[in-house]
Amino acid sequence: MRKIFTLGFLASIIVLLLIVPSYSADVSQGIHVGNAGAFTGDAAAPCMEIFNSSQLAVDEWNERGGIQGVKIKHIMGDDAMDPAQGLNVAQKFVSDKLMYGVIGPPMSHIAQATLKIYGGANLACITTAASKPELTEQGYTHFFRVNARNDAHGPNCALFMKRQLKAKKIAVLNEKVAYCENLAKETIKALNELGITDILQDTIVGGAKDFSPVLTKVKAYNPDVLFFVATAAPDQAIGVRQTKELGIKAIFFGTEGARDKKDFIEASEGAAEGAYVYHFGPDIYSIPEAASYVKKFEGTYGALSGFGPPAYEAMNILLAAIDKAAKDGDISRNEVLECVSQTANYRGILGFPVTFDEKGDLKGGATYFFQVVGKDFKQIAVMSGK
Amino acid sequence: MDLYLQQLPQQLVNGLTIGGVYALIAIGYTMVYGILFMLNFAHGEVYMIGGFAGWWALHLLSRNSIPLMNAAIVISLMLIIAMGVSGLLGIAIERFAYRPLRKAPRMNLLLSALGVSIFLQNMVLTYQGAEIRFFHVSSLIPESIRVFHIGNVVVSFMRILVISIAFMLMALLTVMVKKTKVGKAMRATAQDTEAAAFMGIDVDRIIVIVFLIGSALGGAAGTLVGLLFTQVDYYVGFQAGLKGFTAAVLGGIGNIFGAMMGGIILGLVESLATTFFPASYKDVVAFVILILVLVFRPWGLMGEKIPEKV
Repeated sequence: MRKIFTLGFLASIIVLLLIVPSYSADVSQGIHVGNAGAFTGDAAAPCMEIFNSSQLAVDEWNERGGIQGVKIKHIMGDDAMDPAQGLNVAQKFVSDKLMYGVIGPPMSHIAQATLKIYGGANLACITTAASKPELTEQGYTHFFRVNARNDAHGPNCALFMKRQLKAKKIAVLNEKVAYCENLAKETIKALNELGITDILQDTIVGGAKDFSPVLTKVKAYNPDVLFFVATAAPDQAIGVRQTKELGIKAIFFGTEGARDKKDFIEASEGAAEGAYVYHFGPDIYSIPEAASYVKKFEGTYGALSGFGPPAYEAMNILLAAIDKAAKDGDISRNEVLECVSQTANYRGILGFPVTFDEKGDLKGGATYFFQVVGKDFKQIAVMSGK
Repeated sequence: MDLYLQQLPQQLVNGLTIGGVYALIAIGYTMVYGILFMLNFAHGEVYMIGGFAGWWALHLLSRNSIPLMNAAIVISLMLIIAMGVSGLLGIAIERFAYRPLRKAPRMNLLLSALGVSIFLQNMVLTYQGAEIRFFHVSSLIPESIRVFHIGNVVVSFMRILVISIAFMLMALLTVMVKKTKVGKAMRATAQDTEAAAFMGIDVDRIIVIVFLIGSALGGAAGTLVGLLFTQVDYYVGFQAGLKGFTAAVLGGIGNIFGAMMGGIILGLVESLATTFFPASYKDVVAFVILILVLVFRPWGLMGEKIPEKV
């Protein structure tokens, strides 16, 4: 009996902790911002780029004196691409009383798993890559994104394959995770609407290192384009390599994860030449406002792939909101949330203005297309639904 | 139907390559089980570290992705170093994690094995980082012989190399077990450890040799996969270990030839299943077959039915 009481007592404390609304506090107690992502595992490279870019933004704010004279502390939460660990990170972040906002999670399946926890604590989250549409369709008000949704990327990719690549017969291989399944679904839906119905869809297992059995199937199907939907660049590198090895004639078209010079172009040792990839961000090197960021990042952390710039932008948006919320010396998560949601026409380094709509989505998101030429990506098209 | 048939020869090649790798891993599981009746769950990590050792050897022997010497020498050195590192690691694991527990209940050994596995994975994560290491192998093989076309089937030189090395290692092991004195001692120890000891066989030494050989083959598999699929990271051991273990059970755990057969069958089943089902079902098909085999032949395909001692 005593045991039951103890358990009941503990459970009620936990429930109380979970439902305690955010409260106001004096800014001088400290300002923490979190960064949730898969900093170990297959997606460690892009996620570290996200973290380091956010760190650059934090450092710049701190050099300028922080917010209300308080230095901002940037805290890493590693989920290793595992939703269960993502929940731990979310719990850790929401229970940190000085935490006023989070960058990430960049993976749709982790973002999905943690929506409730962050949402319940009114902790503003700005993702820089999670693109599954449903994330902003569930009534949560704390979740924002600086990247376009799959239901923008899917139709844009379909348009690109039809117009630019002149595809009539398409194979779509997708990894079995939320983002990839969803993007494949949206793309196939749009392809059907464009009159392309000759489509083979199959799946791959991320991190499996050998896709030759399923690629053999693709070879027998003989498509014009192979749309390879996988999260991480190393998997894309194996995909393009084995596609070439098997003598598949189809044009290889990879997803945003593949826009990585080291883990895709270099790793595939020439097999990626001529391949196409899409990305949610434009070519950062062509944007004058980004020059200083690019120089700082590459001077400290090495080559950029494309995941960094949106993170730098997102962190600046978040810190601007915190700054605004802290103007009166007092700050609460609700205030920060309010300020983030008011973000309109923010002009940073991405080359387009960032405005959040009422769901937290980026207004007017476009998709950028690149081709691998030599050791680099060349931007060849931009599509925005038309 | 035609669409299926034209894939079959290619899928056989795909299945044979990965099957050869599974077989090499399975041998390590089965040899240890044959003598100690324990599942060496750290074996997947031994495979992973073999992959890293091979990568490291390739890295040291090349400049800007160009090998410094003849490709045949580079590949041989990669394999020798990987097998050496993994073999020694196997001996160390046996000495420090299993030998002190040899008289303890089986469950303790199993836990110790899991502990070693987690330890090794995290050790590599700490010292190497989570970053994936790439094998820059394209300059090892001249462009003109990189792929061969036989009818509709494409076979890369690397695949031929991997299949040949895997089968050569298995043949060597077979000869050793069947024809040499050490092999005889190994078979005797597996059959009855106590009786073998009474006959003057140094059982401890045999166990060390078993760990050395099993782990070295696992390390070779790690490097072969690196050469073929060009990537290694700290997490590859988990999946590979699971597949190797499955292959060993399928073939009849404790039986070396069973492990070889089990590995090759598992590889072939996975590849062929992809032809007829969505690729996400390949593991489902493989495990359904494993379950069916175990229902009708609980001792595996080649394992022996051991009568219970009264």
